[in-house]
Amino acid sequence: MDILWFGVLALLLIGYFVLEGFDLGVGLLLPVTADRDRAIGAIGPFVLANEVWLIAVAGVLFGAFPACENVLSANYEAVVLLLVSWVVRDAGLWFRRRLFTRAFWEWAIALASLGVCLAWGLLLAGLGGFSVPFGLLYGLLIAALFVLHGRRFLDWRLTGGGSPLVTGALAAVPALVPLVGTAGAVVANAAPSANLTVLTFMVLPFVPVLAGAQIWVWRAFGKGPVPAYF
Amino acid sequence: MDVLDLARLQFAVTGSLHFLFVVLTLGLAPLVAIMHTRYARTGSTLDERATRFWGQIYVTNYALGIVTGIVMEFQFGLSWSGLTHYAGDVFGAPLALETLIAFFLESTFLGLWIFGWHRLPTWLHLATIWLVTITAYASAFWIMVANSFLQHPAGSVRDGEVLRLDDFGALLTNPSLSMALPHVLSAGLTVGGFVVMSASAYHLFRRTPDQELFSRSLRMGIWTSFAGTMMVVGFGFAQFGPVTSVQPDKFADRPLAAFGLGMMILIGHLLQLIALALVIVVKWAPRWRFLHPLIVLVTPLPFIAAILGWIAREEGRQPWMIWERLKVADAITPGLTGGQITLSFVGFVGVLTLLAVADYVLIVRVVRRGAHEVALGENPAPAPALTF
Ligand code: HEM
Repeated sequence: MDILWFGVLALLLIGYFVLEGFDLGVGLLLPVTADRDRAIGAIGPFVLANEVWLIAVAGVLFGAFPACENVLSANYEAVVLLLVSWVVRDAGLWFRRRLFTRAFWEWAIALASLGVCLAWGLLLAGLGGFSVPFGLLYGLLIAALFVLHGRRFLDWRLTGGGSPLVTGALAAVPALVPLVGTAGAVVANAAPSANLTVLTFMVLPFVPVLAGAQIWVWRAFGKGPVPAYF
Repeated sequence: MDVLDLARLQFAVTGSLHFLFVVLTLGLAPLVAIMHTRYARTGSTLDERATRFWGQIYVTNYALGIVTGIVMEFQFGLSWSGLTHYAGDVFGAPLALETLIAFFLESTFLGLWIFGWHRLPTWLHLATIWLVTITAYASAFWIMVANSFLQHPAGSVRDGEVLRLDDFGALLTNPSLSMALPHVLSAGLTVGGFVVMSASAYHLFRRTPDQELFSRSLRMGIWTSFAGTMMVVGFGFAQFGPVTSVQPDKFADRPLAAFGLGMMILIGHLLQLIALALVIVVKWAPRWRFLHPLIVLVTPLPFIAAILGWIAREEGRQPWMIWERLKVADAITPGLTGGQITLSFVGFVGVLTLLAVADYVLIVRVVRRGAHEVALGENPAPAPALTF
């Protein structure tokens, strides 16, 4: 059971990197994107469905591996940077067409996307006990992979280019490495099996709904005109 | 202020900001879903405009609900790791279920609803807003389960230095939950009803176009406020039984909690009177212009009552994090430094407050602009002509 839930945790974190990776990549690319309306329009319908994977990661961490939750407080500054950047990125998307100038929010989205990447670098490097400069470098690597992924996604969505699956797999690598490295420690810190049983019984019936909703988003917004809400 | 005070203030401020937006989400979601249902059945432009107008307000409000929620979710791990250390095996379960089987779906379905205009088939599109509503209520349920556990640690046993989950069912039938959950949900309806009423009153007073649309929604707002206030007061008094059974001296020597409680009740009765009076004259209310500014004026009251309610509930729990099990002072992350908590305080409280103000400015702007200029569900721009 603990291994199953570690699998869930890993799947959600990897899913977050693959999916939110292209949103953040497109955000990073904004300053050098000519048609920013279309770029943001392309990721728009996916953002809400993508970012929520990380919220689910936090939920699984609390529910199935509460003893591991101290990774958050042990990497306090990185988590604060992650959250503030995430919040600003989202605000940029919601407010861009509606408040002040678009350029202001577009820069905010780009910088905040960078902030999220750097925070991930610091956080993941912190898990392995690496130094801050190493963490920042790791963050830049993440940003570079996300940019690659974001470009591929835009190409696929807007001009019908090849699929972003390969770049998505690449974007997940930075999360995969620490997951493999910490797997043993995480599993050893799982909640008692009675808890995991309860969680499993509660969540299992919803798995088809969860998967169905995500697939629906891709089927509905994978092609066709680019919507213009964000 | 020391580290503990700052961490508590940070939680109180971000939590209150979060709830200001959440309480309106809870109230507006079913109303927007009902309007959308009407639109799906009649296909009339009037119903479409009403759905899009109130939907735009719902969505704008939701933006801040989600970003403040993100911060709430992680704050437990950042500043209150003592809570997880002591009771993570119990407290973590409802939080995990909230994220996995409620919020995850809510966010996904909301994306489908926002971007699904002119794209999803009518009835499937309608289904998404009902799913958003159901999952929003499910979210409220799980969060209230978690909060009720702090008020009364049902379903858990002491095992050495920590609490263990003993009976999951008892978490769900916690006496601290049974009346509090319907009280919160009716608070949402009250807030939603008053907001719909007041935005409609504004347009009726200004004699803007769309008088028919706003006459209708004024009536809907009045009926919702009426139902909401009746239930919020009913379930409010019904809470005293369970609360005094598990936290007997809760309001006895905690002046701030008692103040919150008293003011909430006062405002509650006032709102109930207002809603009762309006429901009697509901037929004529759209035409009675003198009423409209008064309706606009009372809009903040239900929000204030809702925050006072939380002050009563949470201040009344002090100094306990988990009633008679774990003190707040022992729940703070060990070794949390002044620098760290100042950093997160400035980051979270500062940024979220600014964004909350900006969001309210936007909501007011959406309201004032009226139902003829709504971004949500706009017809997509025609595909750009090919240029050579
Ligand atoms: C006469 C009217 C009311 C009564 C008798 C009443 C009573 C109560 C009681 C006893 C509590 C529980 C405190 C605890 O658990 O320690 C509470 C909490 C609360 N109240 Fe009220 N209340 C009234 C009106 C309102 C109104 C009008 C609103 C908002 C529109 C509201 C919103 C809340 C909220 C959000 C909470 C915190 C969560 C909860 O315990 O349900 N209340 N109220």
